[in-house]
Amino acid sequence: MRLNILIGGKAGQGINKISEIISSILAKQGYFTFNYRDYPSLIRGGHNFNILSISDNWIASHESKLDGILAMDEKTIPLHKPSLKTRGFTIPPTGFENLGLNLNVALAGALTKLLGIDKQILLDEVQQDLKNEESVKAANLGFESQKKEIISLKKLNNKISILSGSMAVAKGATNSNIDLYIAYPMTPATNVLHELAAKQVENNFKVFQAESEIAVANSALGASFAGSSVLVGTSGGGFDLMSETLSLQGISEIPLTVYLASRPGPGTGVPTYTAQADLDIALRGGHGEFPRIVIAPGDPVEAIETTNQAMYLAEKFSTLSIILSDKHLAESEFSLNKSADKPLKVEVKRKLPGKAIVKSSSYEHDLQGNTTESAEITKQNADNRIKKYDLIKKEIEKFKPIKIHGKQNSKNLIIGWGSTKGAILDSITGLNCKFMQVIYMKPMSKQIKQIMQQANNIILVENNVTGQLGRVLREKTGIEIPKENRILKYNGRPFYSDQLKLEIEKRIK
Amino acid sequence: MTNLKTTEEITWCPGCTNFMILEAAKKALSKFNQKELAMVTGIGCHAKIFDYLNISGIYGLHGRVVPTMTGITLGNPNLKVIGFAGDGDTYAEGMAHLIHAGRYNANITLIVHDNQSFSLTTGQPTPTSQQGYTSKAKPQGEENKPFNPIKLALASGTTFIARCNAKDINHTAEIIEKAISHPGFSFIEIIQDCLIFNKEINDKDKLMYKIPDNKDKIKALSLSSQWGYNNKTGKIPLGVIYQVKEPTLQEKLKIS
Repeated sequence: MRLNILIGGKAGQGINKISEIISSILAKQGYFTFNYRDYPSLIRGGHNFNILSISDNWIASHESKLDGILAMDEKTIPLHKPSLKTRGFTIPPTGFENLGLNLNVALAGALTKLLGIDKQILLDEVQQDLKNEESVKAANLGFESQKKEIISLKKLNNKISILSGSMAVAKGATNSNIDLYIAYPMTPATNVLHELAAKQVENNFKVFQAESEIAVANSALGASFAGSSVLVGTSGGGFDLMSETLSLQGISEIPLTVYLASRPGPGTGVPTYTAQADLDIALRGGHGEFPRIVIAPGDPVEAIETTNQAMYLAEKFSTLSIILSDKHLAESEFSLNKSADKPLKVEVKRKLPGKAIVKSSSYEHDLQGNTTESAEITKQNADNRIKKYDLIKKEIEKFKPIKIHGKQNSKNLIIGWGSTKGAILDSITGLNCKFMQVIYMKPMSKQIKQIMQQANNIILVENNVTGQLGRVLREKTGIEIPKENRILKYNGRPFYSDQLKLEIEKRIK
Repeated sequence: MTNLKTTEEITWCPGCTNFMILEAAKKALSKFNQKELAMVTGIGCHAKIFDYLNISGIYGLHGRVVPTMTGITLGNPNLKVIGFAGDGDTYAEGMAHLIHAGRYNANITLIVHDNQSFSLTTGQPTPTSQQGYTSKAKPQGEENKPFNPIKLALASGTTFIARCNAKDINHTAEIIEKAISHPGFSFIEIIQDCLIFNKEINDKDKLMYKIPDNKDKIKALSLSSQWGYNNKTGKIPLGVIYQVKEPTLQEKLKIS
């Protein structure tokens, strides 16, 4: 069973509240949801929509064909009707004109009726969530406005919680016992700033909004030098501003972890939409040669785990760790039916100022931290920095640098990373293929080459125009994925799993 | 005091006024617990001081002394954080940070070695170079007037503002000590001669005079206007130009 329901309206009308209420009710009923958020860069007006996908099985994507449209304004239905299935339903805002901001609650009520869920469950949910009688009345009015169910969702036995990628990164940070989160607002990284700002008192850490990403990165190194566990967050443009400091990290070897949530560029690009176009800068940003760790989680559970791994590895190897996400993972709401692995303890065991004399430098330096221009030390330090990779590679084999999904023995191999995981997993059910999800983008698992060599037919799926992972894999393994086998989407929108399935089917042998 | 020294070879030019700033810094820093001190330096002639002081610190990036210091104090508010920066460093590359430092009022001390020249890159003009200063980068002379960092610090809410003459080691040491003891953002402008570049603006000692510590803002504005950095006329007041007590960033964020 799978339904895709579009909820559309103007920014400021509270579209996401409908997704929240329905997802929360459905999670308690044992149903999985995936909520995709599509919105332009404006605060009031315009046209926003969510696609709420519902299933009795685990899902992590949305589909292109709609079973229903909930409209908060007059634009929504005409705009999305071409995607509506022949027998799909529409709920216009008519009849709810006097409800004001409770229009969303009324529409949530109407949808609850259509899904065949008991009215009392709805009313309890609204009461608990919004805590006001007007909203409960609106929910009731909406529920009663619909005459007939389209389906009857009987309670299932699944235990489900709902989490966005941003909430997951924040959870990974608190699991790592951070002392400090430093950021400058930039979509789609800002939700982690909001999430952690809300949690700082109960979790006893601080959130600092600095004057620029340059200040963010340099303050973070300063705090880390002083012994704090620090995380910073940004998107592509802010990451560019941080690059010089990433390079300072490389030579000073002060631990630093950066959360990079990407969006379509170049420049300001399409700021509230999604792309996997910043793998290149995550792998290479910053001048000079120095080691780094780049980890790309594909869902919230992985985001919790890899945020913790990133901070653990940065501290353990005095290195740079980057958690690479994007708008689609950061802002979509996923249903989870498993919990994250137990967090690793991030321990600061370095010599710290206050207790000892510690000198860290952006110049090439001797063991005391004082400047040197010696040819011998310059070479030795360069060797020592790069040698860290040997230790890091060994350590990350304990985690899951890659994951193999689907039919393990299939000769059709799909390769993807990050937020495309959900759409790929949902699209390959029943197909003769396996899916290699690359999680550690740097350093990479040694197994990748072997897995690629064993396949007869390799298909690449990426949300960018040049197939950035494909290029890295070619550099690492010498294997080129043929152009016709690269499924690349770069219009700022994530893959719909039904459309992706058609693309994969065409290429499977 | 001797334990503040390192054995590194000093590579400033012979006779450089940075030697005097180093002496003043050592004199002031010797009043504090050595292990509790943490310095940050930018990049430029001034920053070589990093190698000559035996205290913890970060030899940071050009222009980023202030945010690096802010980070250190957020990470450990018990450290006494002292920044050594240049005029190009602070007023060109890193200007935004200086203004915000006034707003945050973190408990840090910024010492700017202002020789009105980018000397380590062979003498290009900085934002405090006088109009008409000719250099390899500006053979026709600097076309812009300098701005006045003291006025800027006042306008951005800095709670401790002082000016020193590099050649007066005892006075500079005394002011650095006061600055470190001040709870909040302390900003010290040290006027120094560069013996190689922009020599025509050197030797302003005759214009300089010492003032008693001032806590009056109107008076501070008037003091800050007595010299405009653009020539060798007017009067150059030295000492604490303004001081006020306001909550520090650590207090505002409740970091202890």
